[in-house]
Amino acid sequence: MSGLPVEPVRLLGFVNHIAPSADVEEAIARAFEWGVDAVVAQGTGSDWGPYWLGSGEQVAANQAANVEPYVRAALEHGVPFVFSFGIAGGDVHLESCLRRFDEMCERNGWRPRVGVIRSELSRADLRAAVEQGPPVVPCAAGAGLADPLTVEDVDQVERVVALIGPEPVMAGLEQGVDGVITGRALDIGLFMALPMLRGIPTAIAAHAGKMLECGGLALEPGDSGRCIWASLDATGFTVRSPHEGAAPTIRSLVSHTFYERSHPTQEDNPGGTLDLSAATYAEVDGGIRCEGAQWHEAPYTLLLEGARREGFRAVSLLGVREPALLEQARSWTDAAEQATLTAPRFAQAVAEGRLRLHTRIFGLDAVLGDLEPHHAVTGHEAGVLVDVVADTAELAQEAAYYAFIRLFIGPYPGRKTTAGNAAAPLMPVVVPVSDVYSFSIYHLLPVADPVAAFPVDVTAFPRRVSAPSNPEVAHAAL
Amino acid sequence: MRLYDCADIIRSKNAGPFAVTIDLFFGDEERYRMARESALLTPEGVAAAYDVAVDRVKGVWWDDRIRAAKVSLMRWSSSTDPYCADLFGAHLHTPLAAGSLTGEAS
Repeated sequence: MSGLPVEPVRLLGFVNHIAPSADVEEAIARAFEWGVDAVVAQGTGSDWGPYWLGSGEQVAANQAANVEPYVRAALEHGVPFVFSFGIAGGDVHLESCLRRFDEMCERNGWRPRVGVIRSELSRADLRAAVEQGPPVVPCAAGAGLADPLTVEDVDQVERVVALIGPEPVMAGLEQGVDGVITGRALDIGLFMALPMLRGIPTAIAAHAGKMLECGGLALEPGDSGRCIWASLDATGFTVRSPHEGAAPTIRSLVSHTFYERSHPTQEDNPGGTLDLSAATYAEVDGGIRCEGAQWHEAPYTLLLEGARREGFRAVSLLGVREPALLEQARSWTDAAEQATLTAPRFAQAVAEGRLRLHTRIFGLDAVLGDLEPHHAVTGHEAGVLVDVVADTAELAQEAAYYAFIRLFIGPYPGRKTTAGNAAAPLMPVVVPVSDVYSFSIYHLLPVADPVAAFPVDVTAFPRRVSAPSNPEVAHAAL
Repeated sequence: MRLYDCADIIRSKNAGPFAVTIDLFFGDEERYRMARESALLTPEGVAAAYDVAVDRVKGVWWDDRIRAAKVSLMRWSSSTDPYCADLFGAHLHTPLAAGSLTGEAS
């Protein structure tokens, strides 16, 4: 960095997949009294597992409703908002959120110009990168992922997104828009964009982003439905709470640097590592001052997340209240599993790996499995979940029903309940759930230019329903 | 004493789909020291608690400023496994929390 003095950059941060707390309006008003240069929120993540990315469905979080009070304040004060949208963050997820955003703008009479940045990659572009570029290696060692990624892995994946860094967001903000909305994005990158654009050192922008990315979770008491405020400058940043009854403390902020991260002080990001080993935290008037973060430059890589279909799930649930059966719950379910998997009608599918069946006994070891130290049901009732994953819905449901019946009428030593062994709480007794996915891609893609593949599509909202989308723009060559 | 009884806060959470991290916070210096000096909160002790090879443990770290420890390991059943029972990793602290800090049977 140049070392020239820079103006402070003030950020108001929250989480847009979590509904705001009841006092959000007064908190936002207080933050704007202190001054806000951008309102920033993350709304994507891999925490919900691979299902959403693979299926294209949307978690029922209503992210547009969650951002409404913040967008109102940002537009009134003429400062930009920066959001990632859509949880899994593919194009289909982003689009479903933008439709709700359209409705919100329409209802309020707002006409914002928004830089929309899609972060889904086409299979063709990723295949070309795998074939022609440097190796695409797993981000998580020891996870059993392909090393390096192959063309076959790319061909099997349902959908792939990249966690875009701050650079495409900076390119969006440079266009003077009212806001930037992205698909899947690096959480802290959203917070880093405006500060970096205004000359704040990368290390400070990243450290502040880490503190703000979960909203009020970094306050004491922690609550992600609340917002959080920070003022960044050339030497560090100061965190304050816009909420009455919540405050940042040294302990709350340091402990937040641990949150969801596998290392307490080192965090690999696109283009570098955030190093907090020398970070300092001090009480100042009305807040906590944070300094001392370092940024170690590294070659730029994008984290990719891709989901592959593994089959279809059907389940059945049985409630067990019979004492003699609870004593032998495991051997009873083992027998039903065995009877199902060895039935001639299922033998070929089992042998080919197209049918898997698992019984999970809630009240015994359903959560920890083999690690559960208690080997008997200790309560007076338990639940048995029959969980089948097969290549087709029909096969999964047939096997789940077969297992249900074995459990319901199967004999066991000392049986008195010869009309039926368990309660059936669900109707239908076999529930078709949905397709099942895995994260087959969780890899690092080296890129020379972090912006080129993620162009900014400046759009006036609300969009007309018939407005043509142009997905090709989002899929420019990597 | 069990770790569960020694720590004020024991929170476990995904650190990406394939790793779990367990943050431990202690209410006073005495309890923090007891935990820090234990054999449980070492890579070998963590590996034993989870019945995994020690190379699955990514690390055990301490922060004296806030009397906290952090333990990270690769998940034995990640959110990518169709039969993963704990999508967010919120209950994966249990085997560690049940461990003894003083070598007594828990």
